[in-house]
Amino acid sequence: MARAPAVLRILVILTALAAGGILLLPPSASAQEEVASAIRRYKDRETSTGYYEEHEVRPRRQRPFVEIPGVQVGLFPYSPSAAQVRNRSRLADSHMGIAFYTDKTCVACHPEQAKDIHTVRGNLTCRQCHGGEPIASIQYFHSPMNPIRKHAYVCAKCHEGSSASFASYIIHEPAPGSVAARKSFPTLYLVYWFMTVLLVGTLAFFIPHSFLTGVRELFTRKKEAKNDADTTH
Amino acid sequence: MITFLLQTATGFSRLYITTAWGKKINSVFGGYDTSLLIHKWVGVVMMVGFVIHTVYLLTRINWRTPMKSIFGEDSLVPNLADLKQFGQRILWFFGLGSHPRFSRWTYWEKFDYWAVYWGLPLLAITGVMMMYPLVTSRFLPGWSLNIAALLHRAEAILAVTYIFIVHFFIGHLRPSSFPMNEAMFSGSVPLKEAIEEKPAWVESLQNTGRLNEVSAAAPVLWYRVVYFVFGYAALIFGVYLLINGIMYARQVSLH
Repeated sequence: MARAPAVLRILVILTALAAGGILLLPPSASAQEEVASAIRRYKDRETSTGYYEEHEVRPRRQRPFVEIPGVQVGLFPYSPSAAQVRNRSRLADSHMGIAFYTDKTCVACHPEQAKDIHTVRGNLTCRQCHGGEPIASIQYFHSPMNPIRKHAYVCAKCHEGSSASFASYIIHEPAPGSVAARKSFPTLYLVYWFMTVLLVGTLAFFIPHSFLTGVRELFTRKKEAKNDADTTH
Repeated sequence: MITFLLQTATGFSRLYITTAWGKKINSVFGGYDTSLLIHKWVGVVMMVGFVIHTVYLLTRINWRTPMKSIFGEDSLVPNLADLKQFGQRILWFFGLGSHPRFSRWTYWEKFDYWAVYWGLPLLAITGVMMMYPLVTSRFLPGWSLNIAALLHRAEAILAVTYIFIVHFFIGHLRPSSFPMNEAMFSGSVPLKEAIEEKPAWVESLQNTGRLNEVSAAAPVLWYRVVYFVFGYAALIFGVYLLINGIMYARQVSLH
C-alpha cells in the first residue's frame, strides 16, 4: 500500500514530461512542400489510402462544367455554357474573354482587394503575388496560388518557412463588420461586433457616469475634517 | 504608466502611418519597423509586470482563510455590495438618496482594475501570436492571425479611450479628486480624503485597531512636485494622442 503514492507521483511526473515534450515536437506540416490539403498534409506521411481528393486529379483543358444547385437559367440548371457570368475559379486564364481587359487596372474591378495590410502597409503590388499574364484562377491546378502550394510558391517569398496552415491567413480580409464578412469570415465578423459593442457599451455607460459624478460633486459641500487629519496619511 | 503611453504612441504611430500625423509621431520612434521593435520590447516588459503582479496577488491572499481573503472587504473581487452601492450612487446623482458608504474599493475602481487585468493578457496573447506568426500557425490555423490582429487593435482602442476619457476624469479631474489623486505615487491616501470617500473602510480599520498600523508619512514636497509634473505631462500626452487619434481616424485607409 505504501507504494501506491510513489507510483502515482511517477505517473504525474511522466505526464508532465510528456505534456512538455509535445511543445517541442517538430511542426505537423513541413514547410515549402506541396500538400494535398490546405488544412493538413496529405495523410501526414503520404501513405496511399487508395482514394484521391478532387484537386489531385489533373484537370482537362476545358471550361469546367459547374452547376450551382438550385440556380437555374430559364429551364436549365446553371452551367458554364448557359450562364452569362462564368464561374472563373478554375481557369488557366481567369480573365479570359473580358472585354478591353488590357486597358484596365486590377483595382478597377477589384477595389476591395487593395485595402488590406499587405497592399496598404507592405506596399505590395497585385502582381508581386498573383504574377504576370495570364493570371490563373486560384483553384486552377497549375496555379502557384493553388492552396496546395501557395505557401511555398507565394507566401514563402517573404515569409520564409511558411506552412500551409500559415497560408490560410486571409490576405484580402473583408471589412470586419460588413455583411460580406458575415458570409465569408463569420468569426472575424463576430469578434468585430463583440468588441464594438463592448467599446460603445463601456463608453456609453461610463461617460454619463463620470459626467454625473462631476456635476453632483460640484453641488456637494465638503465636510470639514478635524485639523489633525489634514496632514495624516 | 510609461509602458502604457509608449505602447499607445508606438501602436498609434503604426496604425496611423498612412496619415500625416501618423508619419510625424512615427518618425519620433525611428520609423515603421523600429517603432514595432520598441512596441514589442515594451510589451515584453508589460508581460513581465503582469506576471510579477499576479505572483504578488497570490502572496496577498491569506491562505488560511482563502474564501474570506478573496471575497472580503479588502479584495478587488466584485460582490453584491458593489451592485447595491451602484444603485445608491445613481439615486445620489439625482439627489434622490444619500451617498453610498464605500469601503476600500469603489465599484468603478474595481471595474478599472479588472478591465486592465483581462485586457493585458488579451493584448499579450494576440501580440505574441503576431510576433511569431509561423509558430502560431503550427498550433492554430493561419486565419487566427486575422482574428489576433483585429482583437489586438480593438482592445487597444478600447483601453486607450477608456483610460484617456473615463479614467483620467474619474481618477483625477473630478471635483473631489482634483488636481490629482496622489495615491499612485505617494502610496498613501490623506486620512481626510479617506474619511470623505471611503468611510466604511476607515471605520473598519478603526474597529479592528489597525488604523495606526496602516498610517504612513505624508509624501515630501520635492517628490510631490516631481510627480505632479510627471502626471500632468502624461495626461497632456494622452489627451494629445486621443484627440489626434479621433481626428485622423477617418483617414486610416485600412479595413
